[in-house]
Amino acid sequence: MRGFAFAAALVVAPMGAAAHGLIVFASADCEAVTVEAKFSNGRVAQQGEVRILDGDNMLLTTLELAEDGTAVLPLADVDHEGGLVVEVDTGGHDNYWIVTPDDIARGCEG
Amino acid sequence: MKRHLVTASIATLIATTPALAHYGMIIPNDPMISQEDGRSVDLTMSFSHPFELDGMTLGTPEAFAVTYGDETTDLLGELQEATVMGDQGYTLSYDLARPGTYIFTMEPKPFWEPAEDSFIIHYTKTYVTAFGDDEGWDTELGLKTEIVPLSKPFGLWEGNVFQGIVKLDGEAVPYAEVEVEFFNEDGDATVPDELMITQTVKADENGVFTYAAPSDGWWGFAALNTADYTLTEEGSGEEKAVELGAVIWVHFEEWTGQ
Repeated sequence: MRGFAFAAALVVAPMGAAAHGLIVFASADCEAVTVEAKFSNGRVAQQGEVRILDGDNMLLTTLELAEDGTAVLPLADVDHEGGLVVEVDTGGHDNYWIVTPDDIARGCEG
Repeated sequence: MKRHLVTASIATLIATTPALAHYGMIIPNDPMISQEDGRSVDLTMSFSHPFELDGMTLGTPEAFAVTYGDETTDLLGELQEATVMGDQGYTLSYDLARPGTYIFTMEPKPFWEPAEDSFIIHYTKTYVTAFGDDEGWDTELGLKTEIVPLSKPFGLWEGNVFQGIVKLDGEAVPYAEVEVEFFNEDGDATVPDELMITQTVKADENGVFTYAAPSDGWWGFAALNTADYTLTEEGSGEEKAVELGAVIWVHFEEWTGQ
């Protein structure tokens, strides 16, 4: 696999690489970041804490997963200029997704 | 680790023998794209002899597409011409929008092979997983002929077995012959006998075959059957047989333990 490609000033891997079984993804548009979490068996994660951190790994806010495994973060609520790190912790499993400034810009174009 | 016997005199001999198996090839820069890798995959398409690194002309394919979930998207118009192994091929950079398994497929136009007195059509596919989600790794696409994976077609260690079912017109092909060849990307691998450039296994009565790869890297599996139709060869005007190949490319990872 290729090496770490993002040169963005994000502090990466805020959680251990030992996280297994939970797949976290977040997509962005101009208005919000939508977080999705499911287990590797395809089941939606019905509850869990979502932590939103900035590029310097500072906690910005927390959310709760809805029963459909999603959480929505209005972009206006946070400083997202340097990108965001989305951590999801279901209690037994955790994982993360990095929303880069490019992801937000691209989502806004789309 | 690539463990192959090296015999200079034999290697020289091999270099002068006629090319062996043809393979349609779809090779991504990485079969498992993580979020740290970026948001796209780079693909290289060719029609080649992968062990000997000998390219042949790949004309504009009849079809090139990606399947993600239930959706198949035509990408034929996105292909970029490129020289691959010294001959005509294509490249494509494809944006990966979401986690999951993306299956890239290519149906070339019939290739006339006078040495075999037949046309060749290799239905070629490669599975790429994105962002830690392997859902869809066992997808059957319903191609004219295809190898349906029973092992995940990525994330295998060297030495693992790869298993698949050979299908033709949606039906398993009992005792189908499957040719296996290593993509000798670095040109490092040599063989003690030319018979080992292309290895052959047979499927069982249910069309299931098994192969254990001795080395990390890309391995191509081609199940070959003769079509129930013929095509007209322009030069002679004669009707000629058509070899249908179900090709899948599988990457085995280097074992990182002791």
